[in-house]
Amino acid sequence: MRPADLTPVARNVMQLPASVALVFFSLAGAYVLSVLPWSGAGLLARPDFVLIVLLFWAVHEPRAIGQGVAFTLGMLMDVSDSMLLGQHALAYVIATFGAQVLRVRILSFHLPEQTLHVLGLTIVAAAVLFALNLLLGADFPGIAFLVSPVLTALCWAPVNWLLYSTAVRRRQGGAG
Amino acid sequence: MIRESPSFFHRGPSPLARLTFFTIGAIAVMIADHRFHALETVRLSLSVLAHPVQQFAAVPSQALGRIADYFASQERLLRENQELKTRVLEQSAAAQEARLLRAEQEHLLSMAPGKSRYTEGGLLAEVLYSARNPFTRKVVVDKGLTHSVAPGMPVIDGQGVVGQVTNVGTFTSEVTLVTEKDQSVPVMLVRNGLRAIAVGSGKDGSIDVPFMPVSADIQNGDIFVTSGIDATYPPGLLVAQVTSVEKNAAYVFAKIVAKPAAGVESHRYVMVLPIPAMGAARPEPKADGTKPGKHRASARRRDAPR
Repeated sequence: MRPADLTPVARNVMQLPASVALVFFSLAGAYVLSVLPWSGAGLLARPDFVLIVLLFWAVHEPRAIGQGVAFTLGMLMDVSDSMLLGQHALAYVIATFGAQVLRVRILSFHLPEQTLHVLGLTIVAAAVLFALNLLLGADFPGIAFLVSPVLTALCWAPVNWLLYSTAVRRRQGGAG
Repeated sequence: MIRESPSFFHRGPSPLARLTFFTIGAIAVMIADHRFHALETVRLSLSVLAHPVQQFAAVPSQALGRIADYFASQERLLRENQELKTRVLEQSAAAQEARLLRAEQEHLLSMAPGKSRYTEGGLLAEVLYSARNPFTRKVVVDKGLTHSVAPGMPVIDGQGVVGQVTNVGTFTSEVTLVTEKDQSVPVMLVRNGLRAIAVGSGKDGSIDVPFMPVSADIQNGDIFVTSGIDATYPPGLLVAQVTSVEKNAAYVFAKIVAKPAAGVESHRYVMVLPIPAMGAARPEPKADGTKPGKHRASARRRDAPR
């Protein structure tokens, strides 16, 4: 294991905020990915692209992206997934709260350890959705449903690579 | 514990306070939607916003489909054409017979009070995608409020009943499939006119027929059609074929499993039928012969004409 960076806050202190356009278009792109015509096992195992991008911004831009945005995006996901309104909203708000609490801790680790932390959050979000649907009388949808949070967490690295590099590394002059 | 900023930078409520606020908000929204169906306008307006994005996301798969269509071999098309021609011939005989029977029936019914139970017309709709909800069985079709689709309308394909419109957006609507858990269709056995209720099992390609006594005359291969007594489905639409009958004297009811007649998971074009005009007034709102479904999607009870 590589030695952890022991100056987590200082590393980001001089950063400029990421541009609003980048935040917006990354979330919009994630939404487009999630409304592709998924079906069957692919739908069950579909990574929650919106959640992972949301968590990324909640960790990296905590002043811009918080639980309000999470709530709104969750409502949008409920409508497009034709679920009971508020299910995704609740799951996203809880996961975002987790990200806010763990933010400093997550940033002090490298990617593999960060992914493990994010996995915890995605499992919590999926568990909230699952529990709510069971309460509403749905059956267990299938074993592939358990894969979804893992795949979501595995998206952390590509999302980091895509968004972190464009938003942050460029401004740090390649130092990050 | 590392404080992110000194407390004199005021940054609004703490995360925990926000969490509490939004959690209560989300639960309130859920209750409002589930219990009181109060948020249909919110859903409708959000779905209008999301519509262009969904169209955009559907482009790649549609393009793939078009390309596959373009390269469809001529031989396959010819064979398909031939099959369709024979089917049309087969069905035209049945259709003429049906027309005659229907004329007779109309004539007979005209002597009795009440209107015809048959419905005219229908709306051809294309299935856009299955609803992206792993917990339910729904598809989204490309006709909505702008085409005067209403919740509760039955949906069929070339073989039989596919499901029922349960949620209408501006340009699209959601069709709950007959295999959805607790989605019920009042049916009748063709062979002996036995009435029953077919209830979706929540599994692909299987429908349950619960609450039939062990003594009921139901055999493997029997065909269920809609009975039409619910004023939602027109009578005589093919629903399912019995695949297994398990009669165990230890239980009060037989365990009957049927296979839906329509290609419930595989069709591309479906027909949305209007809700038939109800002949006689129903005596009580609850006496409509259907098992009350647990989920909000059973729009029949809310939207059927009284």
